[in-house]
Amino acid sequence: MMRFVLLMVLLLCQPSAWAHKASDSFLVVDAKGMAITAQWDIALRDIDFALGLDSNGDAEITWGELRARQNDLSAWALSRLDIARGGACSLAVSSLQVDDHTDGGYAVLHITGNCPAATGDLGLQYRLLFELDNLHRGLLRLNLDGVTHTTVLSPSSGLVQFSAEKVSRWKQFTKYLEEGVWHIWIGFDHILFLLSLLLPAVLVVSMRRWRGVDNFGVALREVLWVVTSFTAAHSITLSLAALGLVSLPSRLVESAIALSVVLAAANNIWPVVEHKRWLVAFGFGLIHGFGFASVLAELGLPADALVLSLLGFNAGVEVGQMAIVAVFLPLAFLLRHTRFYLRGVFLVGSWLIMLVALVWLIERVFDLKLLGF
Amino acid sequence: MLIKCNQWSFKFGLALFAAVLATPALTAPRTPTQDAAVIERLPFRAGDTRAKALAEMRANVLKAPDDAAASVTLAQAYFNLALALGDPRYVGYADAIVARFGSKMTPDLLITRGMLQQYRHDFAGALTDFAAAKSMDPDLAIAHAWRGAIYLVEAKYSNASQECAALLQMQRAVLYGGCTGLLQAYTGQLADGYATLQQALSTTRDDDRRRWLLTRLGEVAAWKGQTAKAERHYRDAVALGQDDGYLLAAWADFLLDNQRPAEVAKLLASWEASDGLLLRLAEAEALLKLPAAAAHIQALDDRFAAAKLRGDTTHRAEEARFQLRLRNNPALSLQVAMDNYQVQKEPRDVRILLESALAAKSAEGAKPALDWLQTSRFEDAHLQSLAKQISQLPLSSKKSESKS
Repeated sequence: MMRFVLLMVLLLCQPSAWAHKASDSFLVVDAKGMAITAQWDIALRDIDFALGLDSNGDAEITWGELRARQNDLSAWALSRLDIARGGACSLAVSSLQVDDHTDGGYAVLHITGNCPAATGDLGLQYRLLFELDNLHRGLLRLNLDGVTHTTVLSPSSGLVQFSAEKVSRWKQFTKYLEEGVWHIWIGFDHILFLLSLLLPAVLVVSMRRWRGVDNFGVALREVLWVVTSFTAAHSITLSLAALGLVSLPSRLVESAIALSVVLAAANNIWPVVEHKRWLVAFGFGLIHGFGFASVLAELGLPADALVLSLLGFNAGVEVGQMAIVAVFLPLAFLLRHTRFYLRGVFLVGSWLIMLVALVWLIERVFDLKLLGF
Repeated sequence: MLIKCNQWSFKFGLALFAAVLATPALTAPRTPTQDAAVIERLPFRAGDTRAKALAEMRANVLKAPDDAAASVTLAQAYFNLALALGDPRYVGYADAIVARFGSKMTPDLLITRGMLQQYRHDFAGALTDFAAAKSMDPDLAIAHAWRGAIYLVEAKYSNASQECAALLQMQRAVLYGGCTGLLQAYTGQLADGYATLQQALSTTRDDDRRRWLLTRLGEVAAWKGQTAKAERHYRDAVALGQDDGYLLAAWADFLLDNQRPAEVAKLLASWEASDGLLLRLAEAEALLKLPAAAAHIQALDDRFAAAKLRGDTTHRAEEARFQLRLRNNPALSLQVAMDNYQVQKEPRDVRILLESALAAKSAEGAKPALDWLQTSRFEDAHLQSLAKQISQLPLSSKKSESKS
């Protein structure tokens, strides 16, 4: 089996195995508001046919030969692509790389640009190689404010118009909802913070010792208060940050989040706040909101559906939290009187959470890398 | 249980690893570290005779962009390269040269554009262009020859017969022989067709025409079950030299049909770049259980996927064969073969449709092919036996229906 895999690697690396196929370029455009980023893969054979790359005539194109012609290549390619949104967008090649497709080597042009308008339709005109190769096609994938369009550009359909109106509001909402759920799921610090607050929800303190609550209603009410106030708090700061009204240095925010987890876990071991944990959840929730904001900043918010997307993301975070609660609470309630829960899950769990969060705190304060996650 | 699970995850991991390796689309862009790194190899060196000849023709076109004759020469040279190497990029180059003339077409430009259109299976467009060329120049025999060939592919035999007759009237013996010989072969007169093609062969000394006639003679002889004769024709055709994708494919199919995959593996070893020939190579390697088969099957998968992305459907006959013989997917094969048969109705298209339908146990799917066999009275024993097997199908397909 291993030999087979190795053989495949060898065969795939053999340039003679390249296929003959009609010429395609692969154009991926991302338009977010006024900003354009794009990646354009153009076959080296096509560039050679149009511009002549093989300067020493040995039938081999080297990285050096391509690099020497980078300016010509950029000028040639950009003269055959127009993007417009509220007027012509300026485009520039920011870097050059190479890649392989089924039919050989490709130059990869990374393109950035700016458009006059942040909303409205986007027009694209493509005419690469058409004057030399009538079968050439541009395979376009356009991400317009979060909605993906694909099309095949040909000499008879080189000019295309993409309507921003077609963006489904519902689709946009659900997309950000999914992102919210996802970021709770992969945000270990948020999960651990929540767990630290949830672990004691099925317990009460009596005579400086923890014991199980008597009925499920008490536990449920406690959990709902904690989770809802956490959500309310991070929604406030997330919105403030996403709207650009408040901005805090990310290292400070990340450190404060780690500290919140340390304190929440420590409170389980040495109870200071025994009641009104929702207040703790609210207070620290304000800090976590700034953490979500950095995630959202990476995702990018569509200018025309900002509030809707924010709402979707917040709702997604809430759904993600509720999923954790739905699994955790019934189990914890069942086990609340057992030694296993009181000692193993609650005490040892809180210790572990505190230790992990402490490492995070040190990492983030001193900008180190100690843990793998 | 634990061991089982581990084995499973090991296999899964390995499969995933292989899939990642085998999918070029998944590779990330990279920045080579050395200027000397070779990132692409071109079809030929700038100093090669072929490249020099092309450069000269290109220069002529640049010197006189409005000279239709120079443009036709270059476009035809590109088209011949496409046929020889199985490389459709040259068809695109030829097409762009012809497209520059817009509506100012000469008969030669129209013929060239028609040839390019039939290559892309736009038969209606091609027929129109050939007809327009002929109306501008009634002596243009080649227009009749091409129209005859397209009607044969479309199984419109009375139309084809008219084109052949026109060639006879123009006293173009070789073109007439090729046209009529194939028409006879496709319509229940294999022996007559063979004799007509043989006759045409004896009257020409042109290597290109001889190679084509020898290839078709090889096919007809094979349909007649005359294996030794067919082999001699193929060997004679190969001996004439010059790359010819159609000849290599026909010769490889003959060898595969006669259980000689080892010779196919040798014949096509350096032809991986052509999809049609890679298919035959992979079939041979799979029969020989060679390790290279897996990579070639994966490569074909990638290429069919890439073609789909740009909306290219010219390789459906090959794709059906790939799904049936190498992917063991009769249901998909039948679907693709049926789509292909809508456009192309030559014996090889009929054959893949029958084979797919038989494998998919669908007498219904085979119907168009069975109808063709009946009306054309085509005599190939293999196709007749497939039809017979399918005629016994309804029983078994009923059985499988009642089971489900």
